[in-house]
Amino acid sequence: MKQIMVDVERCNGCLTCTLACSAAHSLTDTIVAAMAAKTPARIQVMPVKGKAVPLMCRHCEEPACVDACMAGAMQKDPVTGIVTNEGNEQACVGCWMCIMACPYGAVTQHPNGKTALKCDRCRGRETPACVESCPNNALRFVEVGEFAAEKAAKTAVSQLTGT
Amino acid sequence: MSSCQTCPSSDTCYSAHNSTNDMYERTTKLGIPTIFDRWEAQQPQCGFGMQGICCQLCSHGPCRITQKADRGICGATADTIVARNLVRLTSHGAAAYSHHLEELAKTLKATAQGKTPFKIGDEKKLRDIAAVVGLDATKSTADLAIALADIILSELRKGSEEPLALLDLFAPPTRKEAWEKLGVIPGGVLSEIRDALTKTMSNIDTDPIDLLLTAVRLSIATGYMGLVGTTTLQDILLGTPSLTNSEADLGVIDPATVNIVAHGHVPLVATAVLQAIQDPELNKLARQAGAEGIKVYGSMCTGQELMQRSAGSARGFAGQLSNWLSQEYYVATGAVDLVMMDMNCSIPGLKTVADHFHTKLVSVDRILRMEGVEDHVDYEPEKVAEQARQLVKMAIDTYKKRGQNIYIPEYKAKAVAGFGVETIVRALGGSLDPLLDAVKANQIRGIAAVVGCTNNRNGQDFKGLAIMREFIKHNVLVIAAGCMSSAAEIEGLTDPAAAELCGDSLKDVCKALGIPPVLNFGSCVDIGRIGVAVTEIAGALGVDPSQLPVVASAPEYLEQKAVADGIFAVSFGLLTHIGPVPPVTGSELVTKILTDDIAQLLGGKVLVQEDPVKAAEEMIAHIDAKRSSLGI
Repeated sequence: MKQIMVDVERCNGCLTCTLACSAAHSLTDTIVAAMAAKTPARIQVMPVKGKAVPLMCRHCEEPACVDACMAGAMQKDPVTGIVTNEGNEQACVGCWMCIMACPYGAVTQHPNGKTALKCDRCRGRETPACVESCPNNALRFVEVGEFAAEKAAKTAVSQLTGT
Repeated sequence: MSSCQTCPSSDTCYSAHNSTNDMYERTTKLGIPTIFDRWEAQQPQCGFGMQGICCQLCSHGPCRITQKADRGICGATADTIVARNLVRLTSHGAAAYSHHLEELAKTLKATAQGKTPFKIGDEKKLRDIAAVVGLDATKSTADLAIALADIILSELRKGSEEPLALLDLFAPPTRKEAWEKLGVIPGGVLSEIRDALTKTMSNIDTDPIDLLLTAVRLSIATGYMGLVGTTTLQDILLGTPSLTNSEADLGVIDPATVNIVAHGHVPLVATAVLQAIQDPELNKLARQAGAEGIKVYGSMCTGQELMQRSAGSARGFAGQLSNWLSQEYYVATGAVDLVMMDMNCSIPGLKTVADHFHTKLVSVDRILRMEGVEDHVDYEPEKVAEQARQLVKMAIDTYKKRGQNIYIPEYKAKAVAGFGVETIVRALGGSLDPLLDAVKANQIRGIAAVVGCTNNRNGQDFKGLAIMREFIKHNVLVIAAGCMSSAAEIEGLTDPAAAELCGDSLKDVCKALGIPPVLNFGSCVDIGRIGVAVTEIAGALGVDPSQLPVVASAPEYLEQKAVADGIFAVSFGLLTHIGPVPPVTGSELVTKILTDDIAQLLGGKVLVQEDPVKAAEEMIAHIDAKRSSLGI
């Protein structure tokens, strides 16, 4: 199954992904309208000692947020693997258990102050908007196995050549 | 970025100065957001902008050069975009310096016509310069001043095809040769700015090499007009600086007086205000309001201009507060009644902090406006005496509204100011020879101009101070100008007692002459004064500036005037260290030209080194190489 995989070295902090995320979750799907409506982004780019680090939901196989959700709003779709508290039968009540449980800090509070907000991997889109917009290929939507194989190949080379 | 020292996870505080850190603690407790908070909120910052490869000129944009796109929509490469952005920055710097010079020229003329409260401050310099530019020496002082002002105004305005006369008269012949060979002898500055702005419009000049040459032209025009020209006219009008003792840091603020801060770069209104506060009637008004008197402090370069003339036209100056990063913090003392803002470096954040206190902000230059600031006393040479009185009265009225919540950090330092060619020659008994002999004898290993802005990217003044300390430790004499002067003053480096921080041979020189190891040359415009000094030294030794054991460092450059300064220093033949890394790294071509190839054409080049100790080491190695080439 494809996941959003991050190459943190390639991120240069341009924040384009956050704009694309807002746009994808706005009514008109445009950056300008999303900025005007203050549509929140669900991906964060955090500064760490001057380096930018993108953070988003990992859509875990065993999601701590789902386990923690007392309302039953946070669920993992068995087919797509998407973890979300939106569009399910039970509504999010804003208890913030998911925020406390998530080991990545990837769940935040919606600016409405009433519900939790997180990546829904752009349900309905073939490629998530953040990945599509990244000018540096720091974000990729790939099969996890494929990513792992590439990484292993690169690491093997560096083991031998030291580069 | 290991050099980043301002992140929350860092152990280092935001400022190299205790006073500013104290004040940041206070604004934090009071819940007042300031520059250090806004810095945090801006992280992370876009890597495309940092590298200079974002173009927003036309409505196809913004375009960025990325791994997916090696050209903008129009076809512009990273090289074109970077070089074009650099020319636009340089144009801004050239324009701002020209504004400063024009205010001076108009004031000199009005003064000679008897319409201002100023008097010609240095008649000898006026006559010397008048002689060089070929004016009739039998004319009266007033007529000479008017004629010189007219020459400057016409030099500013003439066409770009007419070579600058000031450059021809004042530049070292070897420099003129190098510039002529490259075809970068500029004409009138305003015409050069027009040409540069036209060239950098979409799709006119897209050749990175020609764009870089345009930046060089602009910066040379700035060097001889906005820097050397402005410094010279300021000396003629307000007096050439003389050695003077002063104080610096926020601790100079007196809670018992009506307090006015002169903030900016153009010291004209501030000088008139210093005259106005001598008026017994205004002092009586202040006492009636409950204050013990009226004081005028300096901030940034206006403060430096006042400090270096505080034995003359700026008599009564009460001390320097700090450089530009501290502006919100002196307001937050609650003891500043009025800030008079002239020309550049008044940040919008100043108003957001002033809104928490009683402090009144007033613009004193027609080009300066700030959202929420409604008081404008725009400088007019003919009216400035009355304008100054008006400002003092406004300050007294505002003083009456001062609250009880006042905190003034205890720190202040002794600062010696007023250095320049004239003061050095006077201190050395009438000639530069003792200084040159000390350089030849390796008592002074070399000279480093540490100049320019302060910048929060690495914490206020950390890098500048580290570099200055490294230099003096290794017997390199430092000349400071601009915000770096304030940094040095506050940390005691412009106090002769700082000789103790020097290497043995420089320590001996400083002690013998009673001078500090960091010579305070004044404001950022006084980079012109440094240019004059280097020209004199090169002339005395019969060599080109690029052959001297002299380097320049703008370790914390911030804005566009500094870009023009930096390119001028390189064009002048100096190795010029620039930090933080300027937004050119997105173009390999531009980066290589500026940091390497340009040395073959102009003698100077840019040194980029984020580590201050290593930067000093590399500059000292350059100094040593120049020494051995000269055989000294």
